[in-house]
Formats: sequence, structure tokens, C-alpha cells
Amino acid sequence: MFTKIHKFIYLLAMLSANLLFYFFSFVLLFSAIMVIVASHSVFSLLFLVLSFVVSAFLLFMLECEFLALIFVVVYVGAIAVLFLFAVMMLDAKASNLSRNLFRYLPVGLIFALSFLISVLYSIGFSWVSSENTHTHSFHVNWYDLIDSGIDLDVYGQVLYSYFVLQFLVVGLILLVVLIGVVYLTNTYTSNKTVDQSSFKQLSASSKFFY
Amino acid sequence: MSFINLVELKNFNVFPEYFIGISALYILVIAVLISYNVYGLLIQKALSECVGLLLLLACYLLLNGYLEVSGAISVPYSTLGFSRFMITDYFAFSAKFVVCFFSALYFFIIAGFLKDYKLTSFEYLFIGLLAVLGLMLLCSSNDLLTAYLSIELISLSSYILAAFKKNSAYSAEAGIKYLITGAISSAFFLFGSSFIYAYSGTVNITDLWLITYHENWLVSGAKSNLLEPLLEIGLAFVLFSLFIKLALAPFHVWSLDVYEGSPTISTFFFAVITKLSFFVFLTRLTYMGAFGSFEVWQGYGVVIALSSVFVGSFGGLCQRKLKTLLAYSSVSHMGYALLAFSAGSRFSAEMLFFYLVIYMLSGLGVWFIVLATQVKQKRYTDKFNKELGDLVLLRRSNPALAIALMLTMFSIAGIPPLIGFFAKMGVFLSVLQAKNYLVAMLAILCSVVSTFYYLRIIKVLFFENLLVGRLYQPLTSLKTFLFSASIVSLIFFFVNPTFLCLIIYKIVLCSFV
Repeated sequence: MFTKIHKFIYLLAMLSANLLFYFFSFVLLFSAIMVIVASHSVFSLLFLVLSFVVSAFLLFMLECEFLALIFVVVYVGAIAVLFLFAVMMLDAKASNLSRNLFRYLPVGLIFALSFLISVLYSIGFSWVSSENTHTHSFHVNWYDLIDSGIDLDVYGQVLYSYFVLQFLVVGLILLVVLIGVVYLTNTYTSNKTVDQSSFKQLSASSKFFY
Repeated sequence: MSFINLVELKNFNVFPEYFIGISALYILVIAVLISYNVYGLLIQKALSECVGLLLLLACYLLLNGYLEVSGAISVPYSTLGFSRFMITDYFAFSAKFVVCFFSALYFFIIAGFLKDYKLTSFEYLFIGLLAVLGLMLLCSSNDLLTAYLSIELISLSSYILAAFKKNSAYSAEAGIKYLITGAISSAFFLFGSSFIYAYSGTVNITDLWLITYHENWLVSGAKSNLLEPLLEIGLAFVLFSLFIKLALAPFHVWSLDVYEGSPTISTFFFAVITKLSFFVFLTRLTYMGAFGSFEVWQGYGVVIALSSVFVGSFGGLCQRKLKTLLAYSSVSHMGYALLAFSAGSRFSAEMLFFYLVIYMLSGLGVWFIVLATQVKQKRYTDKFNKELGDLVLLRRSNPALAIALMLTMFSIAGIPPLIGFFAKMGVFLSVLQAKNYLVAMLAILCSVVSTFYYLRIIKVLFFENLLVGRLYQPLTSLKTFLFSASIVSLIFFFVNPTFLCLIIYKIVLCSFV
């Protein structure tokens, strides 16, 4: 009797977790599609922000709190907002998109369908995990119960011992990108250093902010 | 893993890479200090030769490294370092040596041309050196994650190298196109890696080998082929992303524009230096990691190889631009290499490596000539890129260069008294050994077709009855030395191919089970 109730509660918990998972995944899918489909670029960027936030929720559900917070801080806080600023300043015309949509739609649809079919074939068309595979996860993860360090702690321990080489390579990648961007955007025509003239920016007829 | 194992120097198997990385940082600091006051100080020639010397030193370090027989891991002669993320076997050693040696030659060659092509800032060399570092890391990465990071290092450097000429719209266009294709390719790589992880619970190639080799190692009792599609589709995505990077035929369209638009020195790098490492990783992934699903990747390999041989042969037929023509030629060559790869035997691995080494050798010669034929009196309005007609009367103005171009073209086309013949013959032999007779026949027919445009270059060089041609600048002695060495080696390796073949035979024998 006890075991049945226990199992029932366990199943209920798993079901609700799965429900939340499906809900967030569908919102993620929807917002990812809307990023492409939205007619105005500001809207598509807002949907991009939504998709980042939702994927942060998904990461929360996988108990990766640190990664989730990093997602929100870096992607939403820095990158997406920067994009928004850039798009608002550029004031891109949205008319080109709808004209090109029907030209590129069939090809994209063919590719998307072929990928979808092959992926669905590989995961077997089934939404619930079958009993006999090792993927189904009714087992108790004992490591979770025994060794429960903080998320950040674990990252630090793994990143600086096992993944030290990868960590260095990531640093080199960032260095390459930094130098490339500085080179490509800099013009060395004048020797004057670039400085901020705040009175110019604050004046009413400024060309920088309006 | 105990603490002693963690710090053991035996497992520190990336010593040349560390050397290159640290010296790249030194170069950055020193070049910034030198050109702090006067920007655009012309240090690029000295710096480029310095980078070449650094890479030669790295070659020396590579030759000094030795391997000991390890125990029960898949490969007898190998060292798995950095908690099994980096493998060093003879294959990785030799591939790294080849990459290092040829990029050292590349930096020596471009040292004299940087000023003429107006790529005078030192960032170019720094980024090129880091790209070589990424290539070397890719050669010995034993892990999809490490491979992804090194591919990113290579491709981010390549985007910048492609877009480096800031005043040219073509260069910027090439950079953007390269960036977008590279981003798609990276996304596919990660997607496929996640599928492979879902199948096996690991992204390590040695572990993947253990899992796929012992069929019921993973799921005792249960049917393991239930999960087989996961591995297959993951493998397909990873392979396709690597094919995009290699510019094989259905995915080659970016390469034509990128090769044409980016500065010629960068195109030299993309076309000649970068190809080997991707093939090394491809071979490591399939010949070791996923040899269990041999039929899958052999099917992809044959189809993609045939289509790229076809496209490379027929696409170049009515092409007048020299760089695009060479891009088509590169597509067809990668097709032949993939043909050897897809045969899937030890002999085919040998032939793949042999073909790629010869490809790099002859590519060095061809691109050297493309760089070296600079018009003497150049107006600013003239275009930089060459068409085939520009080579007319090269036999009068610089006969040695014309004969050398003829020899390299014959070698690339696979005409007997040169080493290209053996390379191509090896590819076809390995395909025949795998009993793919139809594939071999189609590839040979396409090879015959592609001879047309190589011969057309020779016809333009020698048999055009024009009286007005262009005068080209004479070569300096260092360039002449490097150049004639590369041409002589084409003949030398034909006369004595045993040297190369024996080394490669030993490498492959020691590296694959």
C-alpha cells in the first residue's frame, strides 16, 4: 500500500516536471520561430530575449542554477539589449523581409522537414520513454544525495582541473576575436585619440542621441 | 585519477602547442610595444619570418616527442593526456608536423608579399599563428568538445583573415559569408555531438570506440540497436558540419565566393594549410570512434566525394577567374581525398594522408605563382584578382615561372612524371580495393574531365599567339629558393616515393587498430 502511494506521488511529481518541461520547450520553440517570422526586427529581438529567458528556465529545471543565471545576465542583460540598441539606432526597413519570405520559404521548408523527419526517426516518434531502454530515469541518483556541492563550486573544480586545456583554448578564441574586432573596426586615418565630448552628446541638436 | 597522475609530465602531450601559444602572446606584446607610437611601422616582413622560424622550432619539438606503449587503450602507441581529451599517437604527431612545416613555409613565402598586398599590420600574422595553433590542436583532439573549440579557433581566425582588407568590399563580403556558413556548421556540429552524447553518454572518441566496439557494453541484455539511430544521426550531423568546413560539393558554394573575395594570401591559407587537420579529425572520429557504424559514414563519404569530384571537375570548365578556378580544383581534390577516406581500410587511410601531403605540396607551388605574378607597373584602379588571360606571355617575361606553373599543373592533374600521379593512383587503388568499381570509374572519368582546365592554363601559358602581355616583377632570391625547392620535390617524390610511403605506412600501422 505504502509503495503504491509512494509510486503514485513520485509519478505525479515526474509528470508535473515533465509538463513544465514540455510547456517551456513549446514556448521556446514558439519564440524561436517568431524570431525568424516576426516582421519587425525589434519584435524578433524581443522574442529572442524571451527564448533566452525560457531556456534559462529549462536550465533551472535541470538544476544548473549558475548556467541559468549566466544565461539571463549575459545573453539577456548584455547581448540582447545591445542588439536592441543597435537595431533601434539602425532603424532597419522591414519591407524586404516579407518580399523575400515566399522566395526562400519552400527551400527552407524542405530542409526543415527533412531534418525534422530524420530527428524524429532517430528518437523514435514517441513522446514517452519506453520501459526497456536505459534512458528512462526512474532510478535514484545517489550522487545527488551524497555529494551535493554548490553549482558554482562544481564548475570551478571541473573547469580548472579536467577542462584546463579547453579553458585556455576558449581564452585564446576570445583573444582572437577581440583583436580581430579592434582591427576591423578601427580606422587609423587620424592620430587623434577618441574621447567623449559630453556636451555634444547632451546638446539638443546632437547627432548621436535623438 | 590520483594526484600523481594528474601532474605527470607524460600526460602533458601538447608541448609544441604550448610553445606556439606562449610565443604568440609574446609576439602580441612585443609587436604592440614596437608599434605603439608609430602605427603601421613596417615590421611585417621580419615578423613573418620570425613566425616561420617559430613554427620550424615547433617542428623540432614535435620530432623530439616520443611515445611509449600504453596498456589497454585502443591504440598501442599513444598517450592520452589532459584526462583523455588529447591523444598523441604517430598519426597526430605526423599530421602536426606536416601542418607546422607547411605553415612555416607559408609564413616564409608570404613574408615578401605582405607589403605588396597591403596587409602590413602585425595582427594578420598573429591571427594566422593562432589559426595554426588551432589546426594543431585539432590534429590531436580526442574529444568532440576539444575538437569543437579548436575548430572555432581556426574558423574565427579565418573569418578575420578573410575580411582583413578593410578597404575592399569584396573582402568584407567574403568575411561575412564565411562567418555565416561557419556558424551554421558549428551549430550542426554541436547538435550532432548532443545526439552522440545521448547515444553513448560520452563525447570522448576512445570511449565511443569502446562502446561501439563491444556491442553490449552499454546496455547489458537490452537491445542496443534500439539506440542505433541516435548515433547515426549524430554522426551524420557532425560529418556534414566537417564537410561544410572542408567545402565538399553540396556544401561548397561558400568557398567560391570566399576564395575569390578574400585577399590572396588568406586564400592561400584556407586552400592549402587548413584542410589536413579536418581530415585528421574526421579520420579519428570515424576510423576509431564510430567504426561500428561503418556503413553509415561510408555511404555519406562515397556520395559526397563523388558529387564533389563531379562539381569540381565540371564547374571549373567555363571559369575564367584564376582564384575561383583554383577553388573548384580544391573542391575536386577534397573529393578525391574523401574518396580515399570512404574506402575505410588501413590502406585507404595511408592513401588519404599521402594524398593530402601531396595536395599541400603542390598547392604551395600553385598559390606561390598566383602570389608571385604581380604586374610591374600597377595603377591603383587595376583589380587585384587575376584572370586566366593575364598569364599570357609569362613564357616570355619569366620562362622559369611559366615552366614551374606547367609542372605543378601537370602534377595536380595527375600526369605521370610527377608525384600527383601516384597520389591520384593511390586513391583509385584504395577505392578499387574496397570493390567500389563503379565509383572508381566515375571518379576517373571526372578526373579526365578536370584535366581540361589544367591543360587550358598550360595552353594560355605557352600556345597563345598574342603580342601584348603583362610584365611581372622579378622574384627575390629567398622566394626563388623556396619555390624551386617545392617544384623539385614534386619530381623528387615521383622518382623516390618510397621515402614518403614508408613513413606513412608506419604511421598508419601504429595508429589504427
